[in-house]
Amino acid sequence: MSFSSLLAFLGDLLWPGLTSLLDYLAAHVLLCLVPAFVIAGFMSAMIPKEAITRYLGHKARKWISYPAAAAGGFLLAVCSCTILPLFAGIWKRGAGLGPAITFLFVGPAVNILAIAYTGAAIGMDIALARIVLSILFGLVIGLVMAWLFRAEEEERAAQVVELGAFDGQAKRRPAVWVLFLLLIAVLVVGTLQVGVLTRAWFELRLPLRLPAGLLATLERFQLTLQGALLIGMLPLIALAARLGLEHVLERFNAWTYASIALAALTLLMAAPSMAQGSLVVGVTGRLIAEALLLAGIGAVAARGFTRAEVAEWLWEVWKFVKQIFPLLIVGVFVAGMAKAIIPQAWVQAVAGRNTLWANLIGVLFGVFMYFPTLVEVPIARMFLDLGMHRGPLLAYLLADPELSLQSILVTGRILGRRKTVSYVVLVAVLSTLAGYLFGAFLAGL
Amino acid sequence: MITVKVLGPGCMNCERLEAHAVRAAQQLRAERPDVEVEIQKVSDTAKFLDYGLLTTPGLVINENLVSSGRIPSPEQIADWLREALGAAQAA
Repeated sequence: MSFSSLLAFLGDLLWPGLTSLLDYLAAHVLLCLVPAFVIAGFMSAMIPKEAITRYLGHKARKWISYPAAAAGGFLLAVCSCTILPLFAGIWKRGAGLGPAITFLFVGPAVNILAIAYTGAAIGMDIALARIVLSILFGLVIGLVMAWLFRAEEEERAAQVVELGAFDGQAKRRPAVWVLFLLLIAVLVVGTLQVGVLTRAWFELRLPLRLPAGLLATLERFQLTLQGALLIGMLPLIALAARLGLEHVLERFNAWTYASIALAALTLLMAAPSMAQGSLVVGVTGRLIAEALLLAGIGAVAARGFTRAEVAEWLWEVWKFVKQIFPLLIVGVFVAGMAKAIIPQAWVQAVAGRNTLWANLIGVLFGVFMYFPTLVEVPIARMFLDLGMHRGPLLAYLLADPELSLQSILVTGRILGRRKTVSYVVLVAVLSTLAGYLFGAFLAGL
Repeated sequence: MITVKVLGPGCMNCERLEAHAVRAAQQLRAERPDVEVEIQKVSDTAKFLDYGLLTTPGLVINENLVSSGRIPSPEQIADWLREALGAAQAA
């Protein structure tokens, strides 16, 4: 192969990676990812853990402890650091094996970041199925595990030492829950595709004249002016956050306020509609609603929270962004490249139709490929574009966050081999069935 | 002597908390050069339960769990250190 053909080959490879990356960063994805990161940080810093853990103690009744474990998985387990200690605690000193397993399952599966991103990048049907089925499975798998190992569990329950770890009472703070609901509303309003929100109620024409060269460049990357501006915002936010949030626990500075303002501005810029090559901005219901909600959030945060609390919140948000975002960018880029290489015929032959076999392959792929949080979503998007059926796709998305070789090893260390094997088999079988039934359900519609 | 333990599996927040504990210890040393503060890291998940810790990071001062699931400021940790010192002297 000559040097120039090598370059051409590399170009063929990198170009799809780059365009898919730009497409992701410019599009509606920001409307879901920005609020999702802010919410994840909020849950981590502000949701009082005692509000949930007091229902997970050793004396809790079954019909309280299982739903509480599922809710806890959603509310408390944003970070994998929190999952394992809580899981071990619930199992050994708290409500027992069943609720602990429910918590372990629901945590990574109903992660707010992953669900929001799935909804924006793949579709609300898959996102909803992910939430409903994960919670249902979490409960079922927990109950089955508790039943399978009931003899051992009874023996152990007799020896449980009371520690008081589950007795904590949460202080009642309505402001926390009001703010939480407002933040969730920003996410929902940003992603929901309904007429009231997507319709442009009136239009504004930007008083600008764009140079022809700029227009041609935008055309080449298939970007709208709005998309290009949004991509431009990202380095600005990154810079402001680096300078303003890295030490926010010690002090607020001008950059701290700048990064908050830039993040809010990004949401407002992403909300209106704009066509490619046009200067007309459609003022959508989404834009109006987002503006009102942001104002509400500002007011509640300023009045109901101390500066130290807001600092903790901002730090958690920044921590998640630092942990997840770089990997996500690499993931989107690589998935874009892979899409150009993997022959469509292969994917269609293996998982193009909704069969049990195809669903099982989706699950096994999730087990043997380890993707960091959120990266499973662009990978799934790639398979969808290559012709994978939505049934096996769901099976893959259900199994991937639960069953990586790494997480199996870690749970194995806490639970022991027999329980881990049962858990893994249950998750694999149920995910396969879920994908199959979901695919059949879609076909029946 | 005051013993401080930072409980965490080694995530970013645990490192942050440890840094804050070190700063708090420096503050205390400036006021009371005669008191020694020892900071240990505990990353064995099984030990967390002995302190009743459910959400990391946790901070233990003289074997008492003073905070869990959050990162207290260096000033607040310094206050806890002073309290622990007062309690030790009263005993």
